[in-house]
Amino acid sequence: MSRKKVSVWSDNRFWQRSATWVTGFASILLIWLTFDTMGQITMGNQKDIDNHIAKKVPSATVINYKVEYNMNQFRGHEVPVIGGDDGKGNSLFKVKEKFFGRDDYSQKEADALLHLGKLASQAKNCMDCHTLLGNGAYYAPDLTKAWLDPAWGKDGPLQSMTGKNTKEEAMAEFLQNPGKYPTHARMMPNLGITPKEAKGLVAFLKHMATIDTNGFPRGFGKIKEGVVYAKSK
Amino acid sequence: MQSQSNFKYESQKLGSWYFTVAVILFGAQLLLGLVSAIQFIYPSFLYDILDFSITRMVHINALVVWMVYAMIGSVYYLLPDETGIETVGIGIGKLLFWVLTLAVTIVVLVYIFIQVGPANQTTIWLITEGREYIEAPRWADIGIVVVVLGFLANTFLTAMKGRRTGIMTVILSDMIALAGLYLAGMYFTDNISMDQYWWWWVIHLWVEATWEVMVGALAAYALIKIVDAKREIVEMWLWIEVAMLFGSGILGLGHHYFWIGTPEYWWEIGALFSALEPLPLVGMFVHVLYDWGKEKGLKEHTGADATSNNTPALMWLVSNGFGNFLGAGVWGFFHTLPQVNIYTHGTQFTAAHGHLAFFGAYATILIGMFYMAIQGKYGIKKLRATFDSKMAIFLITFGVLGMTVALTIAGYEQVLIARAQLGGTWDAFFVAQNQLWMSQAMDWRLIMGVVTTVGFFYLVKDLLTISKNPQNVK
Amino acid sequence: MIEAFTDMNSSFFGFLNQGPLTLTIFLHTVIVLPMFWIYFQEKKRLEREN
Ligand code: HEC
Ligand code: HEM
Ligand code: HEM
Ligand SMILES: [Fe+2]
Repeated sequence: MSRKKVSVWSDNRFWQRSATWVTGFASILLIWLTFDTMGQITMGNQKDIDNHIAKKVPSATVINYKVEYNMNQFRGHEVPVIGGDDGKGNSLFKVKEKFFGRDDYSQKEADALLHLGKLASQAKNCMDCHTLLGNGAYYAPDLTKAWLDPAWGKDGPLQSMTGKNTKEEAMAEFLQNPGKYPTHARMMPNLGITPKEAKGLVAFLKHMATIDTNGFPRGFGKIKEGVVYAKSK
Repeated sequence: MQSQSNFKYESQKLGSWYFTVAVILFGAQLLLGLVSAIQFIYPSFLYDILDFSITRMVHINALVVWMVYAMIGSVYYLLPDETGIETVGIGIGKLLFWVLTLAVTIVVLVYIFIQVGPANQTTIWLITEGREYIEAPRWADIGIVVVVLGFLANTFLTAMKGRRTGIMTVILSDMIALAGLYLAGMYFTDNISMDQYWWWWVIHLWVEATWEVMVGALAAYALIKIVDAKREIVEMWLWIEVAMLFGSGILGLGHHYFWIGTPEYWWEIGALFSALEPLPLVGMFVHVLYDWGKEKGLKEHTGADATSNNTPALMWLVSNGFGNFLGAGVWGFFHTLPQVNIYTHGTQFTAAHGHLAFFGAYATILIGMFYMAIQGKYGIKKLRATFDSKMAIFLITFGVLGMTVALTIAGYEQVLIARAQLGGTWDAFFVAQNQLWMSQAMDWRLIMGVVTTVGFFYLVKDLLTISKNPQNVK
Repeated sequence: MIEAFTDMNSSFFGFLNQGPLTLTIFLHTVIVLPMFWIYFQEKKRLEREN
């Protein structure tokens, strides 16, 4: 029973087994986490809204509601607020907002619009100029909360520029003819977007703004001095 | 050209075909990168003709495809060396090469001439999937999977029949994971959060897990060939690297799940696992330098010729060790904590990291493999760097570092002004874009891109002529 | 030390995510701990072989 000095640290088999263990177990954990996350990010439906259940990714029918981006005291950062704010940054799911003249899109209609918009975003490759949820290209503004951008609002320049008096119509008009409404030397090109596709895209953008992105982008549209400063340029 | 080939195996010849296409695509990547960079400065350049989205898409697709080509080529190249036999089913391997190359050509032509389509599934199947890096239409995805399955069959059958080394074991298991992950990218959903969740499986688990392990295996092979490193030692390092790379990289995926609609627990997981990702990269760097120095010292001691067998490949291998650590490790760590990433996410800072990481971790070692193939092709015992070799590595490295510095400055500026100060709106974005510091950085990015491209021409010239260098030892 | 849970939905991983780095330290630990076992097993084997 002579106990010779051995070096496990320079032993090939030890490292091979460790590598196999670490890889296998990390993969299992990732798969487990993936199941958990899938459950949490599955898109909600109108029933959730009716029952006042907030979802990370809410129902497509949020297009029928007013959307804001407010500080939530419990979460400690801004969150999308759907259908009115209870004063603490939680959604009331009450206050409606017209979307192309209607606020009664059925689940089926809303799903179809979102589907068309998502397809259009891929067919026209928005992601190779813009970022969506912060991923993509850095040539043009992030679209995560574009729906809430002050530029599209009543006080912003885009509604009068496009001659439309709602946000959604102004956006749809811009998307169909971006070259006609340049606000900067770097313009968005004409991507052959049809009126129907534009409507779908605006629904897609409005829906994206309601996704709970854990507070990204921070302070979006809140910094008034910034907006004024920018406009003066 | 074919007649003077000294390849001992058809598999190595096939490897060199893959390398040839890789170099051509690398050139296309740089050209389209230059056009994208010009469009940043002169937005009317090719506006409504070849828009930024298209030039950028071709830039990054050519990048990914040339690297995949060079990796497949490397495996075909080292397969006979490792297994001791000719690759099984090499005829099919060659056929698949032509099929893949034809498919890539068609995809690129469609990108450039058709560009976008109507919002329906036909566009997704025939024109583009419109998801950064994996824009290739669905038909091409399926074609790629078929070709890769054939390639896997080639390598598996060969490895089973021939000698089974540790390097081969790592490469084989890694390639299954690499190919399997691609499937996660062939998927359409209306839910953009779900979409991005799976998109990152392909992008992150490729570049920060499976590709890195491939680099570890290629470096192990190259060290054995170039500096006569001992296999047992190199393979032990390789297993350590695999453990550390996968141990940190798989759950490090979490650093992309901070803000896409996923639960908050990813903040912690992504932060701490990815913060450990630089460790194996430091290890790989130390490993290359250590083995090189050790073998050199041993040879000097015995009075043997202590020079390496392939100086240009060794230069690129050392720059890989350093570039991987710097681009992926340091620049990656800069923005990997959620506290930082909430501001840097999706800015020029990301682009700075993307450039240095892809270059440092992958371009370098794959260029080194090109030189290994040149050595094999002309049956040269000791391949010696020429003036052109040195100009190539100097200009390309200097150019990419210069671009990275410019983009990092642009990134800081964008992060502070557009994000921290002004809250990331449309206006905020352009206020930051129009700052002098941003526009100067964009000018420098273009200038340094030109420097990189000049270096690329030296590289091509060198690859074509280095075999005639009188200092080579036949 | 232990902070309130602030995410939208609770879940097993959310439950472990209770404060400064609790979840990630837990995951690191369960990955690394079994390596000790592998280490001692291999040590025994090497001692037997030598
Ligand atoms: C070739 C690049 C390019 C592509 C592709 C592109 N855009 Fe744009 N987009 C721009 C640029 C540049 C601007 C800024 C225009 C300006 O300020 O004058 C812009 C502005 C916008 C705006 C207004 C900015 C904001 O934050 O609200 C929206 C909305 C928009 N794009 C949506 C889209 C959508 C949706 C797609 C895909 C269907 C798309 N874009 C594809 C370049 C592009
Ligand atoms: C060779 C290895 C690597 C390569 C090639 C690489 C490449 C890239 C690229 C191209 C992107 C941008 C993706 C996009 O277009 O949206 C990216 C993002 C990112 N990388 Fe890496 N990377 C590597 C390693 C690392 C490491 C080791 C870390 C961390 C330590 C890291 C941290 C990040 C982070 C946090 C992002 C997200 C940036 C954002 O939020 O915008 N990367 N990487
Ligand atoms: C001629 C030299 C080059 C120029 C001028 C150039 C230019 C560009 C431009 C303009 C973009 C778009 C960035 C944006 O969306 O804002 C880009 C993206 C990218 N380039 Fe290059 N590039 C060059 C070389 C390279 C090289 C050598 C590599 C890697 C080996 C590389 C890898 C990438 C990657 C990974 C992206 C995507 C970055 C991201 O999404 O974060 N490029 N490049
Ligand atoms: Fe990553």
